Amino acid sequence: MRRSRRYVLGAALLATGLVLGACGPGEDGDTTGAGTEPEQKARLTVGSDGFYEAQIVGAMYALVLEDAGYTVDTQLDIESREVRLPAMESGEIDIAPEYIASLLSVLDPDSGGATTPEEGAEALEPLLEEKGLELLEPSEAVDVNAFVVTQDLADELDLSQVSDLADVAGDLTLGAPPECPKRPYCIPGLKETYGVEFGDFKPLAYGAATVQALEAGAIDVALLFSTDPLIEQKDLVLLEDDKDLQQADNITPLVVSEILNDEIASLLNGVSAALTIDNITPLNARVLIDQEDPEVVARDFLQENGLL
Amino acid sequence: MGTTTGAERRVSALRDVFAWFSDPATWTGYAGIPTRVTEHLLLSGTALALALPVAVGAGLFIGHTRRAEFVTVSLANLGRAVPSFAILALAFPISLRLGLGLGFWPTVVALFFLAIPPILTNTYVGVKGVDADAVEAARGMGLSGTQVLRSLEIPLAAPLIVAGVRTSAVQVVATATLAAVIAGGGLGRFIVDGFAFGVRGIEGRQMVMGGAILVALLALATEVAFGLLERRVGPRQVTVRAGRDDPVRLGPPLARDDATR
Repeated sequence: MRRSRRYVLGAALLATGLVLGACGPGEDGDTTGAGTEPEQKARLTVGSDGFYEAQIVGAMYALVLEDAGYTVDTQLDIESREVRLPAMESGEIDIAPEYIASLLSVLDPDSGGATTPEEGAEALEPLLEEKGLELLEPSEAVDVNAFVVTQDLADELDLSQVSDLADVAGDLTLGAPPECPKRPYCIPGLKETYGVEFGDFKPLAYGAATVQALEAGAIDVALLFSTDPLIEQKDLVLLEDDKDLQQADNITPLVVSEILNDEIASLLNGVSAALTIDNITPLNARVLIDQEDPEVVARDFLQENGLL
Repeated sequence: MGTTTGAERRVSALRDVFAWFSDPATWTGYAGIPTRVTEHLLLSGTALALALPVAVGAGLFIGHTRRAEFVTVSLANLGRAVPSFAILALAFPISLRLGLGLGFWPTVVALFFLAIPPILTNTYVGVKGVDADAVEAARGMGLSGTQVLRSLEIPLAAPLIVAGVRTSAVQVVATATLAAVIAGGGLGRFIVDGFAFGVRGIEGRQMVMGGAILVALLALATEVAFGLLERRVGPRQVTVRAGRDDPVRLGPPLARDDATR
């Protein structure tokens, strides 16, 4: 018994190791351009949190900088913001894609949030300055909680925006991650801003399980992120946030002030200007569903948009 | 943060959990401990009740007839080898398609397969372990196969069978926490919800630790309850009667309590 347990533990550790190993970035900054440039440009490290969308945008930042002659290292698999921010303060990571409203809620949990990126950026400026960081131009691509229904239910109940739920929600079941009853942009916000109170709530893991339950009719309304490729793939209807409950979580470059110059700013702002909800969602699908390499996906996008 | 020692953190964690258990809100309502314990027992009990006849039936059959032993035991042991979480993931969409809903039935299916191997193996080993001479003697007295099974093999194997049920029950109770992952009830709710609320926050931490303690206590209580039952059925003599002949007393098989471990 004792011995077999130890084997199980060993196997579990081994498996964990393999998975972690397999998740690592396959890229160690290309150093060939370093000496050939006429003027020596800085060596930069681009980091991103370890999920598909942040990885794709992080790869875009790295590619445009590399194209302009910078030597770029990448670290596109950082566990979370709580790990990444200290690493940026200490200068281990110079540039990362951020989500404005989420960043504000972490740095100032008592703030009222931000419904526009400008509002968020303004509230963040002094907080970031202390850390030697600053935000560049926000993109239009915004990743927020989105309430979705099946096409059938949308037709049946004539649903197109969240406020349409107010009269019918009492007979409907919401499926969302277990923290939804505690989060201001989920159940409490729906009640306060829209007067929407669901008859029942089913706590489900984010993603595929939620969509399966939605398709089978075990839940009627599901929470997904607005740029989740499953929405399009499964032909789901995203209810419009007509009373602006959701926050301005626009994808925006966060940069260490010390390394920032006009060229870097204009390169990264160029990426921001090109990104929208509509064009990042299919990129997410390529990584999440088709399992493509985020860097390949990022490169294609930049080339299509004339940024490379 | 940097100045708190490990010991201080452990003490404050204990205090948090104690505060959670002594908060009346923890004990009331649809998300209170009594509701969750009831759901947990219902989940575990249903799975065990479904697994019991199947596992005991199969164990008796192969133990008595000595047929298909290898295949059956190997099949049953798959239940041990395949993680319950994987079975749950497979059962979830099937349950949805059949209209059986989210949490309860997929979990029961996963627990059913988890519950089978210990009961089946113990029943089989118990029946097979009955002294061959005793079986021979009973047959010689004119008992039929079914009579041998009923009046000799089952009673003599009973302590081992109950030991198997006990092992199953403890595993099932501990694993029923999985239901919470797919919107089911039970004590896993505290753990999954607490984790989702965030273990950096005090509430999330309290729920995760409180839930884990409750699951452990319930599994322990299950172990004790079946242990007592085991002692009541436990090793004894069996009296076999055939026609008007004098009754014959037969002893239990050699103790093989650890046959399944």
